[in-house]
Amino acid sequence: MDLLDLMKSSIRAPGRLVNLLTIDELKGIDVDTSGATIGALATLAEIADHPDLARMFPALALAAGHAATPQVRNVATIGGNILQRPRCWYFRMAQYPCLKKGGDTCFAMDGENKYHAIFENSLCAMVHPSNTAVALLALDAVVRTAGSGEIPIRKFFVTPDQDILRESALAEGELVTQLFIPATGARSHYLEFRERQSFDWALVSAAAAAELEGQTLNNARVVLGSVAPIPWRIDLGEIAATDEALDRAADEAVRGATPLAKNKYKVQLARTAIRRSLRELARATE
Amino acid sequence: MPDVLTTPAYRWVGHNPPRKESLEKVTGSAKYLDDLKFEGCLHGKTVRSTVPHGRIKKISFEPGVPWDEFTVVTARDIPGKNVVSLIELDQPFLADGLVRHMAEPVVLLAHPDKGMAEKAVKRVHIEYEELPAILTIEESLAGGNIQYGKDNIFKKYHIQKGDPESVWPKADVVIEGEYWTGPQEQLYIEPQGVVAVASPTGGVTVWGSMQCPFYVHKGLKPLFNLPDDRVRVIYTVTGGGFGGKEEYPTLPAGHAALLSWKAGGRPVKIVYDRMEDMWATTKRHPCKTRVKAAFTKDGKLLALKVDATMDGGAYVTLSTVVLSRGTLHAFGPYACDHVVIDTRAVFTNSPPYGAFRGFGAPQTIFPLELHLHRAACELGIEPHELRRRNLLHQGDRMATGQVMQEETGLEGLMWKAMDESKYLEKTKAYREHNRSSTRIKKGVALALFFHGAGFTGSGEVFLDSKAGLELTRDGAVRILSANTEIGQGSFTTHSQIVAEELRIPYEMVEVAVPDTAVVPNSGPTVASRTCMVVGELLRRAASDLKEVLVKSGALAGNGHTPSEFRAAAGKYLQRFGELKVYSKYKPPPDVSWDDKTYTGSAYAAYAWACYVADLEIDMATYQAQMKDFVAVQEVGRVIHPVIAAGQIEGGVAQAIGWALYEDVALKQGVMQNCQLTNYILPTTADTPPIRVFFYENPYQNGPFGAKGLGELPMDGPAPAIAAAVAFALGDRIIPRIPILPETILDAIS
Ligand SMILES: Cc1cc2nc3c(=O)[nH]c(=O)nc-3n(C[C@H](O)[C@H](O)[C@H](O)COP(=O)(O)OP(=O)(O)OC[C@H]3O[C@@H](n4cnc5c(N)ncnc54)[C@H](O)[C@@H]3O)c2cc1C
Ligand code: SF4
Repeated sequence: MDLLDLMKSSIRAPGRLVNLLTIDELKGIDVDTSGATIGALATLAEIADHPDLARMFPALALAAGHAATPQVRNVATIGGNILQRPRCWYFRMAQYPCLKKGGDTCFAMDGENKYHAIFENSLCAMVHPSNTAVALLALDAVVRTAGSGEIPIRKFFVTPDQDILRESALAEGELVTQLFIPATGARSHYLEFRERQSFDWALVSAAAAAELEGQTLNNARVVLGSVAPIPWRIDLGEIAATDEALDRAADEAVRGATPLAKNKYKVQLARTAIRRSLRELARATE
Repeated sequence: MPDVLTTPAYRWVGHNPPRKESLEKVTGSAKYLDDLKFEGCLHGKTVRSTVPHGRIKKISFEPGVPWDEFTVVTARDIPGKNVVSLIELDQPFLADGLVRHMAEPVVLLAHPDKGMAEKAVKRVHIEYEELPAILTIEESLAGGNIQYGKDNIFKKYHIQKGDPESVWPKADVVIEGEYWTGPQEQLYIEPQGVVAVASPTGGVTVWGSMQCPFYVHKGLKPLFNLPDDRVRVIYTVTGGGFGGKEEYPTLPAGHAALLSWKAGGRPVKIVYDRMEDMWATTKRHPCKTRVKAAFTKDGKLLALKVDATMDGGAYVTLSTVVLSRGTLHAFGPYACDHVVIDTRAVFTNSPPYGAFRGFGAPQTIFPLELHLHRAACELGIEPHELRRRNLLHQGDRMATGQVMQEETGLEGLMWKAMDESKYLEKTKAYREHNRSSTRIKKGVALALFFHGAGFTGSGEVFLDSKAGLELTRDGAVRILSANTEIGQGSFTTHSQIVAEELRIPYEMVEVAVPDTAVVPNSGPTVASRTCMVVGELLRRAASDLKEVLVKSGALAGNGHTPSEFRAAAGKYLQRFGELKVYSKYKPPPDVSWDDKTYTGSAYAAYAWACYVADLEIDMATYQAQMKDFVAVQEVGRVIHPVIAAGQIEGGVAQAIGWALYEDVALKQGVMQNCQLTNYILPTTADTPPIRVFFYENPYQNGPFGAKGLGELPMDGPAPAIAAAVAFALGDRIIPRIPILPETILDAIS
């Protein structure tokens, strides 16, 4: 769907298309005690509605369920979702040959940058648009491919500094077959802010995960979406599940933000998203 | 089902028969423009300017494209006058030498293959000598760069009653404020689309998605130097207009016809995709307004001064009349002895702004109502009470001198709206809540307003509309009118009116396709006039038709059954061949208007309303979320309650978009976010329950008492919402819309 959109707006003109939908091996969701194996063709709707995923990996089910609209979720695959291209207006309009399309300027830097990055934004300020990527990163998923085998999700997304023309480490022609999420017993949560309640990408999203021990969150991490060219992971380690400690962590996490002219508001949203998602984990302890 | 607060005593009027076109639309068999198939059709495309102001130096066609397969049209190919005939004659169909805004049409291409046509657009290169552009109202008025007349001003209006200047020094309190309303995209679901067949021998025929076939007709005649009967314009099922298909379709219609003319009469279809539609077509005029008001300590409005400036864009199009309506709604439903209204529409190098539901009125009602809310806060009087103390009543004079002949009933509407929304309880509870809660702030506020139905001033007289009825072969009645069905239900309400007057079943009334070769010019489908003005023409035609049948002896004068009517129609047709009855517009008695002084009865009838908005703001995300909306209005007789309520709900939703979501990001005068994924429109998940209530005070010159209501719901929500935001933020006014989360963040930090 994203591919068709790019073709319609003359951003991409592939000479040949391969239909993956006929490959049954790429479909289905399997959950057992070791974790969840999700076929690349599993739809966002299937993921959102899967009871075992909702129980074991609520961040992923919530992330999938919040994306787009019911119609889109019925056809959008998770493989395609983590590989969707930037929503940056300049990227999406053929008349702007920006850096990401091989040009030599970033039009967003002094243009419309309300929806752009507040971290890692000196070269290209796109934000990674995928909801599920945010959750998958918080859940330490592994991307299985038909080429190189396994790519830990932490290495899957690449920044503009690493490669301006791509957002993932996938090699040309390499196929994503499955995503695997290991069962660790960690609790997780996902939330997002957006301008309207449906049919929209997030302004800022957050997936939080941690293991719980008494009043302490262990191995706590929050991944922010729509704040950087990649899903933006913040590792907090061990942290007390009190409002003050969580608020402090949230303030600390956004300290390094470098907002552009029109997106200062995102710093505030990011802080709130961190705070609320962690509090949600803490709430589960009571 | 909406509440209607009278009992209709009619068989069809006030009831909800199925819409005339609903079966086709629901089953998908309705044929919209792009569904129409034409043998040998070419696909037309428009090459548009990419600078806001510049001289065209050279147009070149990149090699490697089979240009000989294309039909190519530039200004030089135009057989007649290169000018869109509307109010002024300043806009060309194709830029000739000079472009005055981004996205201005320069070259037209047509090819049998749609993909080829699309690709070829990028292979036409236009070189410009760029000229300095005017991109804001301020730059336009600054004077250095004059591109229209001697001062860049398209039009000015001045209304004066009494002498506000003498009041300021004496008043207890004088409050001033400046307000801004942004542009808005109409966003009809079906984009602009036309098909044309044109040749010197066959004349010009155009099919299209449009509101006003006769506007297109008028626009095309000079383009080809053709007389009336050689140009024919046919309405096709139209997926929404909201004003966006009032004047604009003349341009693509002319373009398709020029291509067809050059291609030897082959049909040419032009359908914009969403991006082109949003990039190039008209939007609501942005408007900057200063309001100054003087009050006594206890809230009596002593003097009012409003100064509003609209950005008209690069050509006059309808700006002068949009401004006029804005001017005539700027003083609101209040009695005040000293009022001065000054307005102007100015030139900028933006694509022309155009008609949009409300037509200038929402832009001036917003500042006035929000200013009254501000005044109430400053005076320490409840906002509804401040309004109540100043309401216009029977016998009062408006700023134009028009004396209210009837009681407006506004106070009753206000109490009803407050009652239904639990306004008083909520204001108390929300204040309490806001004192203790830091995370969620709640707000509730109201707005009072009117909307004049029909054309402004002497407009209806100049239109000189004509509508008619004819008997069909099988003894039914067919409506002959140029007024189009654009989703607002006009085919249905017109049929109800005719059925009621003739005392025949609704099913026995048909509607002829608005086709300039078949129907008379009953005027445009705009200005909340279709039901009230054209409906009354049809009612009179029905009454005349009945009289003809009775006089001929075919029909008894004292009532008839449907089959008696059918038999009478058959008898008449057998004897006389056909029966067509037309009626022409007659201004209501005691309505007069002076265009020079802008005094008199600006509108023959007004709809009155009070709306209440209820919302919450999340103080961490600064998102305002609507919670409830109550819309109470008096619109004369409600012909079809379900359709009427649909109009109100849709208008309120559209206005919520204008107030809280829809941000047209302009660069070099043109929209940047021309996709539905980045022009943020509220969805049903963002709109609250919209609760609609009608009062009926039948208007004597409307059909069965009806007035207009289509534009009314666009007027009130934005000021009510902005005031509710102010309430939530502890009386902090944000004087501009849209109020986005970052607007709130900026305002409070
Ligand atoms: C109105 C709207 C709102 C939206 N809102 C959101 C939102 O809020 N959050 C969100 O996350 N998304 C959102 N989306 C995006 C939507 O979820 C994605 O477009 C969708 O997930 C893409 O899935 P697809 O299967 O159609 O991918 P495709 O378009 O088919 O694929 C995208 C890309 O990935 C490649 N690809 C696909 N599968 C594989 C594979 N197995 N291996 C290798 N390469 C592959 C394709 O070649 C292509 O380049 C929205 C979309 C729309 C239209
Ligand atoms: S932010 Fe990235 S995608 Fe957007 S214009 Fe700049 S370089 Fe292109």
